[in-house]
Amino acid sequence: MNKIKMTTGIIWALVCLFVMIILYFSLGNFSAGLAKLPFMKLNPNLTGGEIVQQRVMDNCTLMIRQPVFDGFLGERRKGFVQIDWKGNIPGKIRDTIDYNMDSSPDFIIGIETAENTANLEALNPVVRNIEISTRTSFGWVARVNIINEK
Amino acid sequence: MDETIKNQTMKKSFGKSLLYTLPMFLLTFILLTGGKPDFSDRAGTYALLTTFLGLNVLYFLMHFTGKTDKLRAVLFIVFALTLSFTLIKNMVDLRHTMMYSQADILECKMPFCHLVIPMLILPAAFTQSIIYPGSILQGFASISSMVVLWLAASLILGRGFCSWGCFYGGWDDGFSRLRKKRVIRKVNDIWKWMPFAVLLMVAITSALALSPTYCDWICPFKAVTEFEQVTGVESAAKAGIFISLFGGLVVVLPVLTKKRTQCSYLCPLGAINTLSNKVTPFTVKIDRQLCNDCLKCVQVCPMFALTKEDVEKGNVSIFCSKCGKCIDTCPNKAINYGIKGVPAGRMVKFSRNTFLFASFLFIAVFSAGSIITVFKSLFNLFI
Repeated sequence: MNKIKMTTGIIWALVCLFVMIILYFSLGNFSAGLAKLPFMKLNPNLTGGEIVQQRVMDNCTLMIRQPVFDGFLGERRKGFVQIDWKGNIPGKIRDTIDYNMDSSPDFIIGIETAENTANLEALNPVVRNIEISTRTSFGWVARVNIINEK
Repeated sequence: MDETIKNQTMKKSFGKSLLYTLPMFLLTFILLTGGKPDFSDRAGTYALLTTFLGLNVLYFLMHFTGKTDKLRAVLFIVFALTLSFTLIKNMVDLRHTMMYSQADILECKMPFCHLVIPMLILPAAFTQSIIYPGSILQGFASISSMVVLWLAASLILGRGFCSWGCFYGGWDDGFSRLRKKRVIRKVNDIWKWMPFAVLLMVAITSALALSPTYCDWICPFKAVTEFEQVTGVESAAKAGIFISLFGGLVVVLPVLTKKRTQCSYLCPLGAINTLSNKVTPFTVKIDRQLCNDCLKCVQVCPMFALTKEDVEKGNVSIFCSKCGKCIDTCPNKAINYGIKGVPAGRMVKFSRNTFLFASFLFIAVFSAGSIITVFKSLFNLFI
């Protein structure tokens, strides 16, 4: 029994040594393999959700993302919708947003980019307030808090 | 394979030590140069050669002197310092500040570190997603590559990762060596269970908030890497917590106790790595036939991994990070690296050589990038 234990231990140690030697040579492949696993994608609370509408304007493109209500177990009651402006951002932004695509506007968002001020006019009772409004490397991002209607 | 040899020294002759260093020399050369050495940039070439030679001299000395801990600590501490420098340099180059903004989070541009891993597990299982605003595969410190490195190192080294791989551990390891004698002599080792409580807390809160709460609120190393832009009371409170914990657990307590208190009392990844000590084939063994119960090993262990009872049983506890301090301290050479299943006192040279090769290769290649960056910056100042 002791000999079996000893042999198993030594074999396991040698296997580990081999894995360590090939680890850095194959790091790219191992990482790419791991990245393909279904859970290796960023949570929508971080990415802002998928882009579902795009509006090309004079200097920039307005992108409306899918509302995010993702919680640990199921959907949350409170969530947000993220709006991106990509390109050359004008000094003043004022856009009417219909995020749920029911053909009736949900809110009007106004941003003074130079002063970094933002205001929200809610046209749908589920729209609450602006959570984030900030300049990014590609333009501007705003997150508007909303209530889950489901 | 060597048989039981009593009180054997781990020292090797100059030639034998060179021979043992040769595979490390070749592997580090290939891995550091990518197999295609480029000597077009003078500062880069000097930095690469200095790092490469420095690493191999350390490994050579481990064989030549038979000592482990002090030589490991040199690399471990240099790794921690240079990595912080490299991270800060990267951030200053990219953002002109150590602080990150809301935009960096929204654009998922945060560099990933292994301490986040305990907070990813529950959300990955239940929401099938990652809750850290970094890059999955691309760019500097991607989530995938860090997870692979940590998984492999934990499988192979167990909690040895905390002394041979963690790029933060060198901070409190370094501060714990500053004083010759301990100021606080008696420390209740019940606190070594604290990381499990922290692990449970951050795993649950991160899952509920879908945000890495340890990074947001607790991580002491934010003080030497990056932290949230102070824009209000909340972000100011966070900055205060980071600096206080760094000062208390990474600087003051290690200096006073000569223990690695951040790693032993707080780190949630350390708790997971403690469990991985059950999987690794490598361990530290005490030969009861040689031990005279002087308990010097218990005193010097920086991770609270040894108690009088452990010494009497001839085993270190699962908290052992395989730093080698007890091995180097033992006056009777009763403590050695070992392989599970192999009785204490048998195949000690084989066990040590195998463990050292695996662990040193890991830290050498992992740390080389940041050490080269620092040397390159230094050489650029003078060339």
